[in-house]
Amino acid sequence: MGINILYFGMLAEISGQANEIWTINDGLSVGDLKKLILEKYPAMGEKKFKVAVNQQIADDQTFVSTQSEVALLPPFAGG
Amino acid sequence: MEGPISPQFVADSIAKHQSKVNIGAHAIFLGQIRADEKEDGFVTGIEYSAYEEMAEQAFHAIREDAFSKFDLTCMHIYHSLGLVPTGEVSLFVFVSSAHRRAAFEASEYIVDEIKTKVPIFGKELVGPAGAYVWKENN
Repeated sequence: MGINILYFGMLAEISGQANEIWTINDGLSVGDLKKLILEKYPAMGEKKFKVAVNQQIADDQTFVSTQSEVALLPPFAGG
Repeated sequence: MEGPISPQFVADSIAKHQSKVNIGAHAIFLGQIRADEKEDGFVTGIEYSAYEEMAEQAFHAIREDAFSKFDLTCMHIYHSLGLVPTGEVSLFVFVSSAHRRAAFEASEYIVDEIKTKVPIFGKELVGPAGAYVWKENN
């Protein structure tokens, strides 16, 4: 099953796309997923970002399922 | 909303509240784009983008929270998406209350919450040659 990973701001520049379908195993944590993402896009390792799962900020222990919407969020700049 | 928030829009918003005679105080916060100096020149504008579904939820949560914390009659929040040139307004927070204290305090609280909790991203366009830097709230 694929999950949809959304990239925003400078992270979308690094990945070259606004979203991407990733094939993952159920029961992966956000921390595990971050490692996979940084393997694919090492340049993201130098950037600060948060991960949202289903539109909620998630910590590394949060589990991601194949139905999750995952978003990588660079620092906020509203205002 | 797309592009800058016009002074006329702000004026019209004020006019719409004249019939609400239980209001005694409005507090308005306007965020304006500053011409900060960067390595490649001065900022000419900010191009905003957002994780829109999450941003809507975050705005909703901030509204609920502010209504429960402060004695407000009315609250409106508008933020620009897309390009907002230097000197133009990108954020309009409009809170109304019977008395001034709640309006002052709520407006400050809401702006602080927006800056830290709403997934809006900003590309600061710098100088005439197409340079840019990504903005980061403190």
